[in-house]
Amino acid sequence: MPPPLPTASPASITLERVTKRFPGGVVAVDKIDLIVEPGEFFSLLGPSGCGKTTTLRMIAGFEAADEGRVVVGGRDLTHVPVHHRDMGMVFQSYALFPHRTVAENVAFGLRMRGVARPEMAARVASALAQVKLEGYEARRPAELSGGQQQRVALARAIVIRPPVLLCDEPLGALDRKLRQAMQVELKELQRALGVTLVFVTHDQEEALAMSDRIGVMNSGRLEQVGAPADIYDRPRTRFVAEFIGEINLIEGRVHDGGFIAADGRVLPVSSEKGEGAAALALRPEKLRIVSSGAGVIDGVLSDASFLGDQVLYTVTLADGRRLLVKERNPGTGALRQNGSTLGVRWEPRDAVILRNA
Amino acid sequence: MRGRRASLGQRAYLVANGAILFFLLAPLAVVAVFALNPTPFIQFPPVGVTTRWFEKFFASAEFMGSLRLSLEVAAAVVVLATLIGAAAALALARGGLPGTRFLTALFLAPLMLPAILTGLALFQALQLAGFGRPTWALVVGHTLVAVPYVMRTTLAVLSDFDRRIEEAAASLGAPPLRVFFEVTLPIIRPGVIAGSIFAFIVSFDQFPISLFLVTPSRETLPVVLFNYMKFDLDGAIAAASMVSILLALAVVIVIDRLVGLRATMRF
Amino acid sequence: MAARISRRGLLGAVGTATAFGVIGRPQVAQAQAATLKITTWGGKWGEVMKGEVLPAFEKEFKCKVEVDQAFPYLPKLQASAKNAPIYDVLHANSNEQWRAAVDGLVVEKITQNEVPNIKELYPYAVSDKIAGVTIFTSAIGLGYRTDKGLTPPKSWKDLADPKLAGQRGGYQIPVNSLGQSHLMLLGQLYGKGMTDLDAAYKALEQLKPIKLVDFTGQMEKMLLQAEVVMGVIHDSGIYRYEGQNQPIEFAAPAEGVLSLEQVLNVTPGSKVKELAYGYIDYMLRPDVQKKLAEAVWYSPASKSVKLDPKYDAKLYNTPEKVAQLIQIDWKWYNERKDEVDARVARILRG
Ligand SMILES: Nc1ncnc2c1ncn2[C@@H]1O[C@H](COP(=O)(O)OP(=O)(O)OP(=O)(O)O)[C@@H](O)[C@H]1O
Ligand SMILES: [Mg+2]
Repeated sequence: MPPPLPTASPASITLERVTKRFPGGVVAVDKIDLIVEPGEFFSLLGPSGCGKTTTLRMIAGFEAADEGRVVVGGRDLTHVPVHHRDMGMVFQSYALFPHRTVAENVAFGLRMRGVARPEMAARVASALAQVKLEGYEARRPAELSGGQQQRVALARAIVIRPPVLLCDEPLGALDRKLRQAMQVELKELQRALGVTLVFVTHDQEEALAMSDRIGVMNSGRLEQVGAPADIYDRPRTRFVAEFIGEINLIEGRVHDGGFIAADGRVLPVSSEKGEGAAALALRPEKLRIVSSGAGVIDGVLSDASFLGDQVLYTVTLADGRRLLVKERNPGTGALRQNGSTLGVRWEPRDAVILRNA
Repeated sequence: MRGRRASLGQRAYLVANGAILFFLLAPLAVVAVFALNPTPFIQFPPVGVTTRWFEKFFASAEFMGSLRLSLEVAAAVVVLATLIGAAAALALARGGLPGTRFLTALFLAPLMLPAILTGLALFQALQLAGFGRPTWALVVGHTLVAVPYVMRTTLAVLSDFDRRIEEAAASLGAPPLRVFFEVTLPIIRPGVIAGSIFAFIVSFDQFPISLFLVTPSRETLPVVLFNYMKFDLDGAIAAASMVSILLALAVVIVIDRLVGLRATMRF
Repeated sequence: MAARISRRGLLGAVGTATAFGVIGRPQVAQAQAATLKITTWGGKWGEVMKGEVLPAFEKEFKCKVEVDQAFPYLPKLQASAKNAPIYDVLHANSNEQWRAAVDGLVVEKITQNEVPNIKELYPYAVSDKIAGVTIFTSAIGLGYRTDKGLTPPKSWKDLADPKLAGQRGGYQIPVNSLGQSHLMLLGQLYGKGMTDLDAAYKALEQLKPIKLVDFTGQMEKMLLQAEVVMGVIHDSGIYRYEGQNQPIEFAAPAEGVLSLEQVLNVTPGSKVKELAYGYIDYMLRPDVQKKLAEAVWYSPASKSVKLDPKYDAKLYNTPEKVAQLIQIDWKWYNERKDEVDARVARILRG
């Protein structure tokens, strides 16, 4: 059994007003400010084309920032070339060296650092053990499965003990099962190594499950940065609210410390300051179905879909709008009847008010 | 049932391959028969076997001198065309140069142009510049038409080259030159080598361009064969063809062995 | 300024004077070990030239001869600078020589003044059909197999015998001057004369099906392989197999034979013109003529050659025999070549 890798001393990452414009006028990244703490598992989450990869590539040094600074571990790296940045990088396409064996792939970074042979062998073995790939040393990438190739890529990146590990959708090409297994492994590995990890994904579940914090991006900007629960329960913008999970939005305005819906109904919220147009955001699982008249609003149950552990009901209101309600599967096999009239209610503290910009 | 159908398909595949091979090799067989037949013209069935045409070929100072020149020129062309072709392909695929398409077309142009015109143009340019017809002109002329082959094969490999592989190397601490030699070059090697083999054959077999650039005392084998044929159409031509085919084959095998074409083709 | 012009004029005058002086006293030129650049044929001819004729010439004229035996001569000559031509002497068939002459690549006229041996030549060798000086000629007639029960052809018209369908041989007219001469002859045989192309086209049509080749070497092989049993060919192409027991023979049709002249001419920009003329003169010497004639079965253009009996019997070297030679007006033909090529392509394709 090779000894475990010594833990790297993780570094913080600071982006200051980092901007990237591509020829043709695309502003891929627009004045991003971000601090990633040492040892943190930080995810960049957002829809396709929002600038996640570009942000990551500027941290790695593959793209030069047009404006702003990239500081890692207190060192300003803005103008430092890639090969001097000392970061581990894992690509979605694995990017293994096709003409080299697994062991040679993993040893590459050590060779570049002039590590002596015996130490190199020990570190390669240990890295491969860490990604559970012992016995594959002599194979070539083409002789490995996708999951195995991703492990090699991971081993190759961590063997150099980088203070920062950057992963661009590393699990994107794997099937669902394998992906979930790898999520767990990657998270454990990150903890064991204590490395600062920036993880790019467009899969919200993955981000919610793995991250210490998440930065949600939209059109080159960071919309919100926070812990997964924070992002989920307290979205600060409509974009974040709608992008993550399912949500009911009720248009209206804030008035006198409360929320008045468009139809004039006063809806329960925790007291809210200020005035003006806003939307009330309610997660389906925060809504309760009660008997008609006992809730905040009445409606007709128009659809029920069985999700396994939960049941998703659609309640159509008098004005035609729909509310989604998620309940735990009661386990009795009996779902609520379509067409029945019922009431919907929620706790004021579960209602989030999103101000119109 | 299924196994039977597969084997039928397989048989059809083998037959098709056999047919292709036959059409490729049949002319060679004719040449071989001609080369070994004692009559000075093609006769079928052959009336005997003789080595006199091979003897005539090897005894002729003219043939031997031209064979030597052809090999020397081809060797120089392989080196030059490979360097230029591979470098140009890299620059075009990677350089982010303006007008890449135009430049690619420019480099491939010698392929579109009838080689005889390329030869004539080069000859005229040399005459105007007062260089006469030095041997290096032959090398330049052949290189001109060999470069596109190296470029094509190299560009083909580069076109499905995942640049992340190079980025991965850089992120692991490899400076640009090491990235090139440790990663880029080994990956594009099969394309470059395939190109250099083409370059050899293009030069060794080159006729239209050589036509204008050979000098009275220094003529390449194809030119000598062509002129020989005008006056003496006998088995020595066939013997010479056999020898040059075998030589070309030998060179391809040697290149293959030396740089391990097959080994690098594996991935 | 004025001084400089006059100095240049003076230099020119001196140069001209020197040139005349050189013609007057050839030994002066010889002292300079000049290089004479020529073209010449390959094959057996080339062997004799390079093995015996040229070394002797070099020795006598104290010069070096650079021999280009690689086709195509004309485009190379055309592409080189007029005042520094790639050749001093162009050896070509009459047809090609005419093309060079029309393009101004060779001098217009060569006389006894430059090449004294011209006075020894049969008139055809420097006739108005020739651009330059003919050194040899071959006779184009009919070659045939002796083992196929054919009556030896007596007339050109025998080639049209229906029995020979698909077994007669001719040339790709656009690229071969034997084919071109034969076409013109057809006009004479079946029409109003050599320039009656319409009659020639009609006659050509009658020769189909016919096997076509690019050059004479191929015709020889076709005859040897009996793929063609009778075809248009020059006498030397048949006689070269003499003594090899091949069942092929040459027949000179009664209407006359077409002449296939080997013509030398000098390039106007040549820097060694006197040497070039000297070379032509040398090629006309009886001993050189005899040696080459007997090596490749070409008929010498010089009247004063005495051939060995074997050659004497067959080659065209008496006034009577020479009268049999039909010369082609290549200048006339070349002016119409494109038109003829297009027409012929249509006839022979269908
Ligand atoms: N090299 C480039 N040249 C021009 N535009 C580019 C380049 N790379 C990215 N872009 C543009 O920049 C924007 C952000 O791209 P980026 O790759 O960062 O998105 P992403 O968030 O990683 O998307 P995905 O989830 O699809 O990977 C996109 O509009 C993209 O088209
Ligand atoms: Mg991306």
